[in-house]
Amino acid sequence: MSMCNSSWSQMVFYEKAHEGSRRGADTSAFLQSPQKMTATLRPYLNAVRATLQAALCLENFSSQVVERHNKPEVEVRSSKELLLQPVVISRNDKEKVLIEGSINSVRVSIAVKQADEIEKILCHKFMRFMMMRAENFFILRRKPVEGYDISFLITNFHTEQMYKHKLRNSSKIFEDLSLESFCSRLGRRCGSHGK
Amino acid sequence: MARNTLPSRFRGLDIDEYDENRFVDEQDEAAEQQGPDGAEVDALLRRGEMITAFHIALRNPPINSKNPAVKERAQAVVLRVLTSFKSSDIEPAVKSLDRNGVDLLMKYIYRGFEKPSDNSSAILLQWHEKAFAVGGLGSIVRVLTARKSV
Repeated sequence: MSMCNSSWSQMVFYEKAHEGSRRGADTSAFLQSPQKMTATLRPYLNAVRATLQAALCLENFSSQVVERHNKPEVEVRSSKELLLQPVVISRNDKEKVLIEGSINSVRVSIAVKQADEIEKILCHKFMRFMMMRAENFFILRRKPVEGYDISFLITNFHTEQMYKHKLRNSSKIFEDLSLESFCSRLGRRCGSHGK
Repeated sequence: MARNTLPSRFRGLDIDEYDENRFVDEQDEAAEQQGPDGAEVDALLRRGEMITAFHIALRNPPINSKNPAVKERAQAVVLRVLTSFKSSDIEPAVKSLDRNGVDLLMKYIYRGFEKPSDNSSAILLQWHEKAFAVGGLGSIVRVLTARKSV
């Protein structure tokens, strides 16, 4: 099944699939020394990927409170025994990922690095754009969790219908958002397709 | 008819609290778990005995304690030890732990991620990588599902 219909989102997923080779060239004037940045990026992404893989063990679980209802327990948070420990993985004090799990759903919230005002505005607009089209994304949450920029809600129904490794990768596209890489991807896509 | 003729105190009751099937966490005694001894660990670090300091820091985890100060102290001690390791020493240190030790280390690592400061996250990420190589996904799952956190 198609994860997303708009070509905008296809751009980011497509680009992310080829990000491995470009990773080393991600230098940005706003950041700390490029070596340090890229040195922590790989372990950061690996740590998030591993934790996500561990947290994405979901099974169907009907609501214990209301008959014949099926709710994502991480959003309802009514029963303590169904919730996992929330876990944070941080790369520095600005970038972190919060993973809250439960028996049938996982909420992944990402705080993206915003080095200056223009990045803040751009990030905010980009995230709003995505979140307004959350229906096409299926796993995107319409509002980010407090303190983070974007949130995903993945339920057992999603894991049943989609590949787990693709789900993991798709949430990671937002993690390395910096102005340079964003503009370069935008330029590349627009250049290669003419519009 | 203005006065309420029937008792209405029952409306203040939360009926879910008295449900006998309700899940309550087991309350274990927090007796001797005071966390590792900070002074001892500091002395060992100064002397350069990293692995011993590491093992001592991972002893006596305040898992059952409800006092957040104890947990904070233990977390600070462990973080100090973890950040004073060189990158090349991390792997042998992790290999010297048993399965429970690796799980405990993972718990402390995730706890350390919650308050990033200076370079702590970079070191913690390296620790995470090595601990994951030894403990595998199981160690992460045990951190997520633990009812009592460190």
